[in-house]
Amino acid sequence: MSYEPKMVGFLCNWCSYTGADLAGTSRIHYSPNIRVIRVMCTARIDPTFVLKALRDGADGVLICGCHPGDCHYSEGNYKMMRRYPLLKKILADYGIEPARVRLEWVSASEGQRFADVVNDMTQRVRELGPSPIQQVLAQDMAER
Amino acid sequence: MEEQRIGVYVCQCGTNIAKVVNCEEVVRAVSDQPGVVVAKTYKYMCSNPGQEMIVADIQEQGLDRVVVAACSPRMHEPTFRKALQSAGLNPYFVEMANIREQCSWVHDDPQVATEKARALTYGALRRVAKHEPLERMSVEMCPDVLVIGGGVCGMTAALELADGGNRVYLVERQGTLGGNVARVDLTAPYLDSARDLITSLVTRVEEHKRIDVLLHSEVSSLEGFVGNFTATVETIWGDGASVSQFKVGNVVVATGYKEFDASRVVHYGYGKLPNVVTSFEFEKMLRAGRVQTKEGKIPQYVAIIHCVGSRSKEFHTYCSRVCCMTALKYAHEVKSAIPDCYVSDVYIDMHAFGKGHEDFYKRGSEAKTLFLMYAKNDHPVIRKAGPGDDCDMLIEVNEKLSGEQIEIPADLVILMVGMEAREDSEAVARLVNISRDKDGWFIESHPKLDPVATTTDGIYIAGVCAAPKDIPDTVAQARAAAGRILAKTIRGSIEIDAVFAEVDEDMCSGCRVCNTLCPYSAITYDPEKKKSTVISAVCKACGACVAACPSSAIKARHFTDSQIFAQIEGVLA
Repeated sequence: MSYEPKMVGFLCNWCSYTGADLAGTSRIHYSPNIRVIRVMCTARIDPTFVLKALRDGADGVLICGCHPGDCHYSEGNYKMMRRYPLLKKILADYGIEPARVRLEWVSASEGQRFADVVNDMTQRVRELGPSPIQQVLAQDMAER
Repeated sequence: MEEQRIGVYVCQCGTNIAKVVNCEEVVRAVSDQPGVVVAKTYKYMCSNPGQEMIVADIQEQGLDRVVVAACSPRMHEPTFRKALQSAGLNPYFVEMANIREQCSWVHDDPQVATEKARALTYGALRRVAKHEPLERMSVEMCPDVLVIGGGVCGMTAALELADGGNRVYLVERQGTLGGNVARVDLTAPYLDSARDLITSLVTRVEEHKRIDVLLHSEVSSLEGFVGNFTATVETIWGDGASVSQFKVGNVVVATGYKEFDASRVVHYGYGKLPNVVTSFEFEKMLRAGRVQTKEGKIPQYVAIIHCVGSRSKEFHTYCSRVCCMTALKYAHEVKSAIPDCYVSDVYIDMHAFGKGHEDFYKRGSEAKTLFLMYAKNDHPVIRKAGPGDDCDMLIEVNEKLSGEQIEIPADLVILMVGMEAREDSEAVARLVNISRDKDGWFIESHPKLDPVATTTDGIYIAGVCAAPKDIPDTVAQARAAAGRILAKTIRGSIEIDAVFAEVDEDMCSGCRVCNTLCPYSAITYDPEKKKSTVISAVCKACGACVAACPSSAIKARHFTDSQIFAQIEGVLA
């Protein structure tokens, strides 16, 4: 059997989670690898959520929020946008390919876009293969 | 800690979930999970018997937490929270797993979908174990209402609310009330005068002692939350401007639409051929009682073209819903004014969906109007006629029913321009904090079950600003929005969600990072205690401060770190 990645999605309640629901009501099919966790706003996403997901076995983490300027809380997505490069930097330091984490904007009317983003991300993570994190963790334990 | 007693309910949603997800398999997979006492599947969990089953289990089996794996929580979370409450359990002890919108409706492999449904249910199960009981807050509900837009929709809503005893601020950008309907002559299909309709509304609105009409005015800001908004309105006078501010509990957005710009369809020559006019320009002729060409001649041939900007790949894919009947009305009005005139009606499909519409269509067909059908995206082409022709223009139509290319004469062409969202609909959406769909129309809370509410509490949408519709549908929505608001204001107070952030004072270092981060200025600082505090009624629970607090001193109620961590563990288990 070919390798199928496990993915976690953190979606803001107002735009992206609604967009994902719209993909459902519109019956737009997409890769089943993603498991969605709803948060009120991307600004709530503590980088530790992403690290926790990766440590617990996710091969990829997708973060989706409202388009810049469209945030339900006016500017929460900008806060996520600023944390994102730092998060990527940490991942690289840990030896995890930064491409395993991705931030995308999906509005409440973009069911198709959500499906496209999930499909594309799933394919990219599939190409990257299993996350090296378990190995990194084991090595880390051995070094202690 | 005492052992938890969790009930898991996997909904089949008829066959919506069950035809892809093996619900029995999900039940089996959760049964042996820690804390699970009951696990069941049922046809419709949201139905009365479904809810009663959950309530009975809570009471008889002493459940203290519930997981419902079903549709989106955006759909039925309130339903199950109420069920818990009626069973005597705190309503926040339920968590939903979205196995319909985000699983059975988007995947087709039963094995993979069942596995995903299991994972999502595990996520909910681990999360609910960490839920805490929360108490909702009761806040005062200001009975006054802001209505944005003084068309038929806004005026109808304003009257309904004011008749119900509430003060209404009706804000209109133009210098007169009436909106787009004020530009219309007769209404279809009963041929009543639009002027009479508008006049009776305007008179009542202007005379109503509980309606304050603000003309030449725009809402520049709206702060606060349901029951307690502060609206700022700017009014432009002849040579100056004034600003007024008032408190309102709810808002009705009734900002309507603008007509499609016909010059965007190049093959109709609008703007170049003087006798190609839009439906609104033709209404003006009808209102003036003069149906004539630019040259002042009585037209011998009138052609009406449907779906200008609507039902097209290039412009708007949606149907504007009023144009078909309006076109038939024009055929009727032209025939009444100029009995010898030849009228052609060039359409894609005749949408006669409303009450009285089909009869009106039948009457139109009998009145010697030439109907020509064209295929979607195969538009007719209008050109100037030659000197030998007895008409001003010629229209080439690939007539769909006969399969022939037909050329028809015209002295006057009426383009049935569709409806589109106003250019500033984005600004309005931001002002009141609601969303727009891909075409710019405002998005309702639920398209079928909650069509006038939005995802922002206290903000209602009605009329065409939510999607094209005719006057009866607009009036129905205006009254619906008013009814929703009256039902809330009559109680004098409103319960608001218990989900907000709170500061643990023992942990707070007083760094004040959160103070400036909050988009609602809901966090204040006590310089004596050197601690920050969240004003819970103002907090909207985005959680920005929670993720940013360097001391982890702020907790997002119902979205705590431990709850989200547990859910992450669950979905990956």
